[in-house]
Amino acid sequence: MNATATQPTTETRTNDTKTPPAGMQDLGLRLGQAREFTMILPLKPGGAQNMRNRLKDYATSAVHLLDKVASVHDLRFVIFDNDTRLIFASTYDGGFEQYIKDFATIIPDYIDKEFQDCEGYPGVKSPEIWDYIARYQQEAIVFYSAYPDASVRQVWKGQRVLHAFDQLLDQAQS
Amino acid sequence: METQIAPAITAADVPSLEVSDIQATVLRPRPSPYKGEYLIVRIEDAAQGREMLRRLIPHVAPADNWWTPTLPGWLAIAFSFQGLKALDLPQRSLDSFPNEFREGMAARASILNDVGNNAPANWEYPFGTADMHVALAIYSKDDESLEMVLERARHSHRDLPKITVVYRMKFSELPDGRNPFGFRDGLHNPQVEGSGAPVHPGSGSAIKAGEFILGYRDEEGEIAAAPEPEVLRRNGTFIAFRKFHTNVAAFRRYLREQASSPQEEELIAAKMVGRWRSGAPLVLAPERDEPKLGADATRNNDFSYENDMQGLKCPFSAHIRRVNPRDALKNDLVAVNSHLFLRRGTNYGSPLPEGSFEDDGVERGGVFLLIGVHLKRQFEFVQSQWVTDGNFIGHGTEQDPILGNQSSEATFTIPKRPIRRRLHGLPQFISVRGGEYFFMPGLRALNWLASLDHKPARTQK
Repeated sequence: MNATATQPTTETRTNDTKTPPAGMQDLGLRLGQAREFTMILPLKPGGAQNMRNRLKDYATSAVHLLDKVASVHDLRFVIFDNDTRLIFASTYDGGFEQYIKDFATIIPDYIDKEFQDCEGYPGVKSPEIWDYIARYQQEAIVFYSAYPDASVRQVWKGQRVLHAFDQLLDQAQS
Repeated sequence: METQIAPAITAADVPSLEVSDIQATVLRPRPSPYKGEYLIVRIEDAAQGREMLRRLIPHVAPADNWWTPTLPGWLAIAFSFQGLKALDLPQRSLDSFPNEFREGMAARASILNDVGNNAPANWEYPFGTADMHVALAIYSKDDESLEMVLERARHSHRDLPKITVVYRMKFSELPDGRNPFGFRDGLHNPQVEGSGAPVHPGSGSAIKAGEFILGYRDEEGEIAAAPEPEVLRRNGTFIAFRKFHTNVAAFRRYLREQASSPQEEELIAAKMVGRWRSGAPLVLAPERDEPKLGADATRNNDFSYENDMQGLKCPFSAHIRRVNPRDALKNDLVAVNSHLFLRRGTNYGSPLPEGSFEDDGVERGGVFLLIGVHLKRQFEFVQSQWVTDGNFIGHGTEQDPILGNQSSEATFTIPKRPIRRRLHGLPQFISVRGGEYFFMPGLRALNWLASLDHKPARTQK
């Protein structure tokens, strides 16, 4: 970890900065129980290529963890601006924010792996993480969801039920 | 990776807690049977507030004296944010307290789902106002002991005209340790590492003391650096105090409507709670109540959900499985140990007579006194995510059947083969009467607070 060059000292903090500042849970637009969350982050020199290499197998290696999180509908990492910046965009269920500290406790390495090529990234367990997120988060101007009241778990359940129902119909006809 | 701290617990790093400096209420269970009273005091003059504090401190019980108290009853003391301001705590120190504590419970209503009937606008005075400064809790064995301690409390401010008692509330144990709904409760508390408290089977592995007491390492491997200064926070903690009314007649009526036999009524009631009335847990007694099991302290809490991951014995939505999931969420990414608190709640009011299905207008219910260092990820998290929501168990917006702030579409899901049973139209069985966050300092910190006026830099009020 060598991204700590310009961090403020922790002595200046007057509060438990490991918890989201007031208003954190209102970051991003909401529709029903769905939330959008977008960050536009500067990349370190050479960070873009590091990130491509590091996250090459990420979708397959991290999928079991994201499934366990069970509240992220989708997420994407987009490198742009001549490899100098990153867009991280996601749609998630309300309540997800409340669990971020749990993820930081249980899988800090996975989260750090995603963002360690970003300039100034303090590490998910750092007291500075909430300030960092707040600095680079950009609220959308439009947010559409086709199923804003359905959580990830409800969508999964709906798929299971539909699958079972289809099987039942098929069996009834054969 | 210097911020990484190994979560493993070894015998070598178990802290020995400074029990003589920690208030008794934090660590020791309430007496049984118990009698007592909560008093809320308002301070209009900081000097008089500190004088009251000086007189009270000798009577505040430390944790190590719990079984041999110097008084026949004992006293606990805690301060709201408004109370610390009223005592002229320096601004720098006030600013160092966590946001949720500074805002107070009423301001957190949208997070806590305290809306509709439970909204702060409907709370009893002085809850939700700036008049709640100091909370005193007196626990005693009987009325005589209670009166003795009350007299000492009265004596502490008798000649101090700027000190006003704005609220008094008596509490007492109901027969057989039941709650107003008729269930034995208070059967579980987490085990605090290094506290020396007796371990009850089923209380789980020891939890880092820093979850419950400031000055020690917590489950995230950290030692809280606020509030400041260190002398104020050391051996202190925070309390979520929440008074609620129980609508026992509505509970009985609903059970009768949903069931076709008295046995079925009892089964539905047990499915809602997760325990039978005797205290016997559904996981160990899935078919019928086993009063012997319920009464056996070595067995009535000794269970996990390992063999009930389908919820066929204890529903996912059952009250005790929601508020204390034990190992039920082990397949999810949830740091369960970050969402615990110590429970020192009490009940108030007389029981609704057996067989009565109509409300008699008597105020009865309970007080949650939930103790933990991190109000936000302990009480607030559990209340918002596990009590008043159901997404974490795949139940959408379904709430806790007992504690939920129910809407007209309220459901309660009972997993069952071949198809689950779902109850509809649950009334709201509890109504919040009020609540507040308090800081419960250690004894040295109390003395520090009482001597603030000796500091030259005191701000003029």
